[in-house]
Amino acid sequence: MNPMHHLDPATVVAYAAGALSPAMAVVAATHLAGCDHCRGQVRDAEQIGGLLIEEQQPIEADLARREHLREAMFARLDEVEEGAPVVQVAPTGMPSVSADPDRLPAPLHPYFGSSFDALKWRWMAPGVHCIRSTGVIGGNLFMLKIAPGKSMPLHSHGRSELTQILQGAYNDVLGHFGPGDVADLDSDVLHQPVTAAGIPCICVAALDAPLRFPGWLARKLQPLVGL
Amino acid sequence: MVSTSRLQASEGPDWSAEMAAVAQRRDRDSFMRIYDHFMPRICLYLKGMGSTTAIAEELAQEALLRLWQRAGSYDPALSRVSTWLFRIARNLHIDRVRKETGWMLVQDALAGEEADHDERHSSSAEAYVEHAKLKVSIDRLPATQARLVRMSYFEAKSHHEIAEELGLPLGTVKSSLRRAFLKLQADVRGEA
Repeated sequence: MNPMHHLDPATVVAYAAGALSPAMAVVAATHLAGCDHCRGQVRDAEQIGGLLIEEQQPIEADLARREHLREAMFARLDEVEEGAPVVQVAPTGMPSVSADPDRLPAPLHPYFGSSFDALKWRWMAPGVHCIRSTGVIGGNLFMLKIAPGKSMPLHSHGRSELTQILQGAYNDVLGHFGPGDVADLDSDVLHQPVTAAGIPCICVAALDAPLRFPGWLARKLQPLVGL
Repeated sequence: MVSTSRLQASEGPDWSAEMAAVAQRRDRDSFMRIYDHFMPRICLYLKGMGSTTAIAEELAQEALLRLWQRAGSYDPALSRVSTWLFRIARNLHIDRVRKETGWMLVQDALAGEEADHDERHSSSAEAYVEHAKLKVSIDRLPATQARLVRMSYFEAKSHHEIAEELGLPLGTVKSSLRRAFLKLQADVRGEA
């Protein structure tokens, strides 16, 4: 699957370096699950990380310690058999971007469950529903469902925002954002996205605190997102 | 443009070749040469990310052990040894030190996806040359870009953290990292 809108290379670098906030990393991973191009970008970014590690010049301090660790390593080679189980998620037989339209992308399962139908949406405003994830530290990760023809409520100044479209679509001056697309915008970009006609637009979004919403929406969200 | 033969002459050991020996016949001498080179480097990386020496050593040993366990699936056309080790060490740090338990689940979910959909067309020789070009290109990054790259990889600092620390606008940090990454890619692909 190849979406039209991709992660900013700066975001790819941060993801590969382990430098994204947990909430942002989840949204980025959701995009990666459905984007061959961006997974290739992440591989390139990981190659940079590997090379940087390889090129370091460590100071050899404690040779006795080093030798002890080396012997310990060698001993563990004896114990560990080829084919020892490596922790893996049990294959479900279904790819992350599933043929089952009810199934959320796999990276979202720990945070929102696996079923769109099972989501417990909370009403925020006319045509706008929201679920905030529990279990993500140091950020805000939530899903939004917005009826067709509505303005998207997200707007940030000077902080980072990352939004992955799961169902439906929205349009703004930057183009059409449909399922699989990610909106990874510089914070000074002004955009007024409006959801497309047809089905509601469902997306998953991460915002680095503090949140900034239009005043009326911020007041409504206050109890929901713990501002 | 740097010729292939000159790159090979200036290169150190070919870790892919050593790793292939481990993959094919569980060659312990090859593995311990990889270990001797990478163990102190992974320790340094993990300490820079915030671990004590003891934890860094423990996680670095585990990273190398995982390399040994997974050797059978190593393909030099797909990935470098250093890339594998970086990925394993980074994941261990995020999972064990930062205790972001969701990260490993997400990595596993994505790994399943990669196996199904991704192709890399390099031969192992092409991958080797690519890696050598990348090394040259990283060494040539302008000072600011190099600093931002190092703050990202060696300190896992977010764009916002970098911006605050250096007193730069967030947009400048992002665009600088973007440019650095695209330049490195272009150099490796010979588009420079």
